Amino acid sequence: MSPLDEFLNDPTSTVRVVDDHAAVQRLFLERGWSDGLPMVPPTAARVEAMLAYCDRAAHAPVAAMPPRYGAVTPIRLAINAVMAGCEPEFFPVVLAAAEAMCDPAFNLYACQATTHPVAPLVIVNGPIAREIGMNARVNAFGPGNAANATIGRALRLALINIGGGIPGAGDMATHGAPSKYSFCVAENEDENPWQPLHVERGFAPDATTVTLIATEPPHNVNDHSSTSAEGILKLVAGTMRTTGNNDIYNYQDGTYPQPLLVFGPEHAQTVAKGGLTKRDVREYLFEHARVPLGAFSDEYIELRFRRKYPDAPLDMLIPIFKRPEDLLIAVIGGPGKHTVVLPTFGATQPITLALRRADGALARSVLDFKKKI
Amino acid sequence: MNELVLLVPEAAAPEVEAAVINERGLQRAELRLGILDNSKANADHLLRMVADQVRAAHAVKSVLTLRKSSVAMAAKPEVIEQLVNDCDLVFSAMAD
Repeated sequence: MSPLDEFLNDPTSTVRVVDDHAAVQRLFLERGWSDGLPMVPPTAARVEAMLAYCDRAAHAPVAAMPPRYGAVTPIRLAINAVMAGCEPEFFPVVLAAAEAMCDPAFNLYACQATTHPVAPLVIVNGPIAREIGMNARVNAFGPGNAANATIGRALRLALINIGGGIPGAGDMATHGAPSKYSFCVAENEDENPWQPLHVERGFAPDATTVTLIATEPPHNVNDHSSTSAEGILKLVAGTMRTTGNNDIYNYQDGTYPQPLLVFGPEHAQTVAKGGLTKRDVREYLFEHARVPLGAFSDEYIELRFRRKYPDAPLDMLIPIFKRPEDLLIAVIGGPGKHTVVLPTFGATQPITLALRRADGALARSVLDFKKKI
Repeated sequence: MNELVLLVPEAAAPEVEAAVINERGLQRAELRLGILDNSKANADHLLRMVADQVRAAHAVKSVLTLRKSSVAMAAKPEVIEQLVNDCDLVFSAMAD
């Protein structure tokens, strides 16, 4: 018996529609299943093909996705991946990322429901990112790559359809963000002068991992002028020290926000050639990316800071993040003198998860997940 | 025209048991009132007004006011436990 038979025999798990493009797309919108863009109809054959790259039981939940706490089963996730346009080979990354974002420490409930423009960013490291052709270089955060675009989109559709993050209901973002359509990249490990992100977070270099970080869209640091490490970091610090970000006030409340700094490879090379390690970068930015208390309004100071600093003068400098080690650093992008800063939602922790086969072994290839027929 | 059979992408909310309201507690001569301030701006003002309204309508034995450390995080288990043990009726609120 196929894992789909249970679905197909359950009238609440299927819907019939005239085989007409406009009618199908209208149905998606009417049911609230859509991100607004046209989607691929999730037929049994397509979902079965997607599940060919999954070695877990199709109906066994891997997580519960808030705020609805719908069960993330491979089959339900595969339906959303089909709708997003994913190739079946991408599905192991989708499944791992969905599981990672449901880790309680990620605080997906608040990330989904908040008025803040946060979206779960997925950074993929390791051999499978290269195998499925993910883009870590030119325009990595932008359009043009099927894996980046459709993995991120599959996760967004799952957030809506499984998690209940429905715009205006479970997702109350004041403005939202374009990153809520899709937000998935690979790290440019080949041009990273330091350890890649996943190795720094305790995984083997040949592991494939997904790192989930709840962030705002990228804030650019354009620096075509500086030729030294300190020059570039000075510009980065200037971009980081803003009053309107969540990180600076959330850690006053006992959380440990971990904002993300993504160097373009040219900036990374300049900083590394200046002799700076990632630790040096963190310590420099901890010291220099600070906002004077007086930059905030009187009311803001009373609500957010006075409990902790009852007598602090207005020229006291407050770091953007709580400890140097809280800054995440990755290298992504192509040629050009740009770096980007991504403040987080604040009350969230990044989660890194390795892609593993059902027997627990690290996956070396998407073929490890492929069902033998 | 032919029909397509599509698989539904939605997952239902899990079934949960409805909470049982302790009506005996609510019928006490003197209520033990709980206030959970979620730490949003003005939540404390709103909750104080609610507490005053309850006091005007009903005898109140005690008011236990607790505050979440972060608006975006769930209340800590010990906070929930204290409210369950020491209160007959708890108010919480969003504000801004």
